[in-house]
Amino acid sequence: MRGARNPIFSREVGKKVIALGNEAIARGALESGIGVATTYPGTPSSEIGDTLNLMAKHFDFYFEYSVNEKVAMEVAAAAAISNVRSLVCMKHVGLNVASDPFITLAYVGVNAGLVIVSADDPSAHSSQNEQDNRYYALLSGLPMLEPSDPSEAKDMTLSSFDISEKLKEPVILRTTTRVSHSRGIIELGEIRGTNLPQFIKEKKRYIPVPSVARERHKVLIENMKKAREISEKSEFNFVLPGEHEEYGIVTSGVSFNYVLDSLNWLDFKVPVLKVGMTYPLPKKLISKFLHGKEKVLVIEELEPYLETFVKKIAFDEGFDVKISGKDEGLIPRTYELNTDIVASAVSRFFSIKMPLDLKEIYSKKEKFLDPLPKRPPVLCPGCPHRATYIILKKVLGEDAIYTTDIGCYTLGIQKPINVGDLLLCMGSSIGTGCGLSEVFKGKAKVVAIIGDSTFFHSGIPALINAFHKGKDMVVVIMDNQTTAMTGFQPHPGCSPSGKDSKNVVSVEDILSGIGLKNVAVINPFDLKRSIETVKKLSNKKGLSVIVSRAKCAIVLNRERKENGIPKKTYHVNEEACVKCKLCLETGCPAISWNEGPKIDPLLCNGCSLCAQVCPKGAIEVVV
Amino acid sequence: MEMNIIVSGVGGMGVLTAARILAESAFKDGFKVIIGELHGMSQRGGSVRCDVRIGDVRGAIVPTGKCDLMIGLEPLEVARSSYKMKRDGKVLVNNYAVYPSSIKTSDYPKIDEVKKIILKFAREVITINAYNIALKAGSASSMNVVMIGAAEGLNVLRIRESTIKEVIREMFSGDYQKINMRAFEYGLRYFR
Repeated sequence: MRGARNPIFSREVGKKVIALGNEAIARGALESGIGVATTYPGTPSSEIGDTLNLMAKHFDFYFEYSVNEKVAMEVAAAAAISNVRSLVCMKHVGLNVASDPFITLAYVGVNAGLVIVSADDPSAHSSQNEQDNRYYALLSGLPMLEPSDPSEAKDMTLSSFDISEKLKEPVILRTTTRVSHSRGIIELGEIRGTNLPQFIKEKKRYIPVPSVARERHKVLIENMKKAREISEKSEFNFVLPGEHEEYGIVTSGVSFNYVLDSLNWLDFKVPVLKVGMTYPLPKKLISKFLHGKEKVLVIEELEPYLETFVKKIAFDEGFDVKISGKDEGLIPRTYELNTDIVASAVSRFFSIKMPLDLKEIYSKKEKFLDPLPKRPPVLCPGCPHRATYIILKKVLGEDAIYTTDIGCYTLGIQKPINVGDLLLCMGSSIGTGCGLSEVFKGKAKVVAIIGDSTFFHSGIPALINAFHKGKDMVVVIMDNQTTAMTGFQPHPGCSPSGKDSKNVVSVEDILSGIGLKNVAVINPFDLKRSIETVKKLSNKKGLSVIVSRAKCAIVLNRERKENGIPKKTYHVNEEACVKCKLCLETGCPAISWNEGPKIDPLLCNGCSLCAQVCPKGAIEVVV
Repeated sequence: MEMNIIVSGVGGMGVLTAARILAESAFKDGFKVIIGELHGMSQRGGSVRCDVRIGDVRGAIVPTGKCDLMIGLEPLEVARSSYKMKRDGKVLVNNYAVYPSSIKTSDYPKIDEVKKIILKFAREVITINAYNIALKAGSASSMNVVMIGAAEGLNVLRIRESTIKEVIREMFSGDYQKINMRAFEYGLRYFR
């Protein structure tokens, strides 16, 4: 259900629909009367931006996929300072990129509501770390709300705008993968109109030179006090009563669901304090909850954030209560929680019998299921990155050090391609390449691999650095003309109108603007010619850049479908095949081995790479 | 009432769509529903699982030993999640293997072995050749809807047949609607 057919676009107030957590946040923003929304896509936040992008075509607000999270934050911040409600969303590590404007924005503040959505990824399902962004609330002094499900995600988005306006500070809405990627029932509300922009010049607020910054820090601390009062009265912080008054559970976010399901499973009724506004914490409410209790279990994902403060409050109040959680090893500090883990912890801590022997099931799982063949994500059939990797391996060999980056092409580390030796974050390939090229001084070939969207996001400053410092390395820009991994969002190299080249940023122009001379553009599916070009270029000393350009296979397939163009597929001529397995070395998921190579016609996207690597011409187009 | 359904398969097989048809139908029939999507980087051929929880529950993921019905679009993926099954839960398996590119075809477990493994966790495994039925309906990509039809035909869904049809009509248009309506009917008739 794409576009206007999606029921979350409805103006029918009171209508109940099933929505993804991320869609619920977008709907909340729409109902709040946003004027501006920005993002840089990143799982698990991407559907917030994608939904807002579609909404902006039907409703009166502006949406952009910004070049990176820092710029997205700055665009939204300026709009909110100018009295226009705004939302900026990103994945947890995106907030690292945006952290510079973010921290000082807390000093400067806003006028209309600004909601900053951070979508965290416990278990690192599709991330390079599982950092806990609740500490960004502590670091910045900005209020934070954490929903448990799609319905609360929408309510909290609406409430965040109000809190933001009351305090004149941005508010952080923190979700996690399980909230963002769950679907639940939400109730639609009225869609508010947007404010008119207004900018009142105020240098003593908007220009944080040291003398201003020192004063604004005091203002921020005063605002934090006001925020704590809001937290004490917030409807999102509440106690569910239970039978065993001497016991208690404190929880937040998605863990709340696991707590309720566990108590139900164990048939054990104990008072639960659910904290929805997790910064500033409702100290009085927590203290009242702890009063008179003997044992309290704190259940939260990742770091012992709540636990530390709950223990501090108990210490300050002089309560004699045993508080446990991560520190005592009952709740793990890594990965997502689930009902199994929470029910087991509750059962252990409060000495309640588990109704099911989970250990027995886990040991059977370990014995029978864990040895089953894995199905790791791989580059798609027809993916141009696969062809580029074949070219790089052929010319630069396996001994070169390949710094890689964030995108589909990171999957090049999988066998049999096996390319990629160092990765830190978005854009790190070229910066780390500079470091390697410096320490090895030509004794090792250094190759930096970066995608098109990532290049625009944060690769350009590093490339300028590499050029300016005269580094000896090969930079490969894998340009598939989209932000593929997160759902095919456009980037500055794509046409904003989708029709002409107006405002399209050319990679080649950037390279020539920097002053780079050793540049070549290749079509990776023209294997022979590309190999020669890369050979010539990489033999030169100094910095060279290869732009490997071919459209993403999924995008290409969609375009074919829309235009009614049938796809070409290949098959193996068994008589000509000598079973050398070179086609298997491409790692294409459409090729399997059953006493010889077989090409699955459903999966084959007709890229011709296997036919080009076949030394006997045994792979032919199906006619 | 609590009913836990898991739809499992491989990226591109329509796991998410199948789960949404089930959830929208249950919702229309007046039940509370939650869906948990586990897809990570699934569009790149990885495992996909979608949990549909109907009734008075909160967590989006089915706890271990609590799954009433598994609708499995791919045998290996069914086996992988079978520890979630209730002992007396039902497992419906599409007899259509998608070979992981990391292994040789011959290393893929035989369907009987897969069945044996699933039986360690659930008492009842029912296999169906949804691929052939989907082809008859008009497209291999309607395997997911064939499986929903089959589950309805087995009378294990507790969702009205007319409601599911209504949801399919709402979710698809044009040729896709026709194919999916046929796929549902053919799946339904398979066990009836």
